[in-house]
Amino acid sequence: MLKVDNVSKNYGKIKAVDNLSFSVAPGEIFGLLGVNGSGKTTTFRMIMGLLTPDSGKITLDGDKIDYSITDKIGFLTEERSLLLKMTVLEQTLFYGALKGMDKDLIIERLDYLLDKFQIKDYKNRKIKELSKGNQQKIQFINAIINEPSLLILDEPFSGLDPINVKMFEDEIKEMSKKGSMIIFSSHRMEHVEQFCEKLVIIKKGHSVLDGSLVQIKKDYGKKNLLIKGDVDLDKLSKLDGVVSVEKENSHYIVKILSDDYVNSIFKEVSKMKNITMFKVEEPSLNEIFIAKVGESYE
Amino acid sequence: MNKFWYLTKISFKRKVWTKWFLAVNVLLFLSIITISNIDTIIKYFGGDFEDKQVVLVYDKTDVANDIFKTISSSSIIPGVDVEYEIVIKENEEDLRSSLEEDESIIGLIFDYDDSSVLSVKIITHSKLSTLDNIALTSYLTETKNAIAMMQTNIDPEDLALLLAAPKIERELLDESKKTTDEMMESIMMTVFPAVILPFFMLSILLIQMIGAEVNDEKSTRSMEIIISNVSPEYHFFSKVLAGNLFVLSQGLLLLIYGGIAMLVRNIVSKDNLLEVISPFLKEAFSPEIMNQLIYVIPFTLILMILTFIAYALSAGILASMTTNIEDFQQVQTPVVLISVVGYYLAILAPLFQGSVLIKAVSYIPFISAILSPSLLLMGYVSIVDVLISILLMIGLLYILIKYGLKVYKVGILNYSNTGIWKKMFKALKD
Repeated sequence: MLKVDNVSKNYGKIKAVDNLSFSVAPGEIFGLLGVNGSGKTTTFRMIMGLLTPDSGKITLDGDKIDYSITDKIGFLTEERSLLLKMTVLEQTLFYGALKGMDKDLIIERLDYLLDKFQIKDYKNRKIKELSKGNQQKIQFINAIINEPSLLILDEPFSGLDPINVKMFEDEIKEMSKKGSMIIFSSHRMEHVEQFCEKLVIIKKGHSVLDGSLVQIKKDYGKKNLLIKGDVDLDKLSKLDGVVSVEKENSHYIVKILSDDYVNSIFKEVSKMKNITMFKVEEPSLNEIFIAKVGESYE
Repeated sequence: MNKFWYLTKISFKRKVWTKWFLAVNVLLFLSIITISNIDTIIKYFGGDFEDKQVVLVYDKTDVANDIFKTISSSSIIPGVDVEYEIVIKENEEDLRSSLEEDESIIGLIFDYDDSSVLSVKIITHSKLSTLDNIALTSYLTETKNAIAMMQTNIDPEDLALLLAAPKIERELLDESKKTTDEMMESIMMTVFPAVILPFFMLSILLIQMIGAEVNDEKSTRSMEIIISNVSPEYHFFSKVLAGNLFVLSQGLLLLIYGGIAMLVRNIVSKDNLLEVISPFLKEAFSPEIMNQLIYVIPFTLILMILTFIAYALSAGILASMTTNIEDFQQVQTPVVLISVVGYYLAILAPLFQGSVLIKAVSYIPFISAILSPSLLLMGYVSIVDVLISILLMIGLLYILIKYGLKVYKVGILNYSNTGIWKKMFKALKD
């Protein structure tokens, strides 16, 4: 298990990370969310041992993370951390060897993953000759070449088209099933919602919300109603519990304070003409994020 | 394989296993062969330089021409290599008309002045070349003196003795300053371009290569992946070791190219280099000279290797502070300039024998590798002075490793150009 326990890091007078705590269990996919400059990369760097926390401690399976156990970790940085003049094979051999792997094993794993990601023809191509999406695939392959027990993914889906995103998702889920701990940040809230069982939202280095996704949504309380039909907007917006009403395409999104108001609103809406849809929805993570952080993530 | 050795191997391979390395070495090889055989190549294509300079003489004295002819064919002027074909003319008009026909000819008219001393008129179509000017002035002065001596009725045998080179016997009152020192000075003149120049070039290459590699890893952010798997210490020292292995290999290749160039010269040239330099080599490998070279060579090699390491450490530290190769080019300039100072001082040292300033500067790290062995070869400094230079160099290496590593650890993961010096000083204090 990865445990981040009351960790703080200051850059001069700026608090980059402030008393941050969370844990990731084997097989769990954990989301670390925050706007740019909120302390995500600093947190990742501290987990990887690139930065030393000013206080608190980070452990993996009870051990302090140092160079004796980094072979068990995979790391994908936000920027493309690839040596562009190398070929795909050279690059993977280089990073694989730094993970303490044998040459034969690296090549075997590389062949398997290149085939899986449908880019096996690029094995001997220089990285600078590849498209951004394919470079991201190579970076991902390099991060998981050692089948890490802890995988850190900083914006793994950037530069990928939906088909490739699906490939990444499948691989991440497969690794999770095999027992890897996966911690990742993403600008795409739908990915976080789809993947993460647990998450922490950080703002200016400290946690503003953490826990399981289900619990977070439950605790948030507010719900959304999706209504389709000839709605009397004026009447609807004045009903008890209604926070706001917005028209989106052919339907209306009504934000309400809690579940308690659903029945009374339904009674009033059912009196209106041509109502073909009345649906209660959980709030999106993006909504919660904006509410908690005070600004959009994207 | 240990991660340190793996990093060293990869770093070395990245420098050597490139098309550019191959291309540069092919070019270097061809250049060295060409430079070593440049005279043969020039001669192969031919030109006026192979013809003797024609000198037309109209001699009103009846004696000057014979003496001038003897002197010009037997006298040697250091650094002046000219040969004259002397042709007698019966009168001045004949001489002048020949000069009109061929503009390259030099005309000389010998006569006596009012004091019965030889006077010479030199007639050329345009200006006289510097070498001809030096040679003619020297030969004519000797001719004038010889005629003056003849006019005093000196016996021809005595005259020949007077004109012959004097027998010189050397005695040095200071026994520590053996005549071998003078030989060492001439070795220095030969060795300097062959050893110091490649050393200087390899130093620059070392700085550039380490700087480029560290900046490449930084700018692509692969540094984060590397440092998350190996310690900055491993990374730093692997770069230093790989860089030094590279320059030593390149230096060895240059030596091999030089050897091949000599072999090629022996095959293609009539006056092969070995024959030309064999008297020099005979002197150079005499027991006296060898006794000195036995300790000069190891000290020189030690200083050079220590300096290479210091350059590599400095380049690594400076590269860690920069975020791209352009910034690195700027911060490495002062380090390179120090070497340039050493290079020029080594060239100037023979002109300022005993200079206190040059001797003092020869202790300074980076400069010492170029200057100190040069001064030792010329006998201007002693072994003790060179030992001091080595100790100072080791001291610098200790400082670079102790404090430079702190800067390196902070610098390699820093991608900001702002407040860089503040961060570095903070790293030094921590």
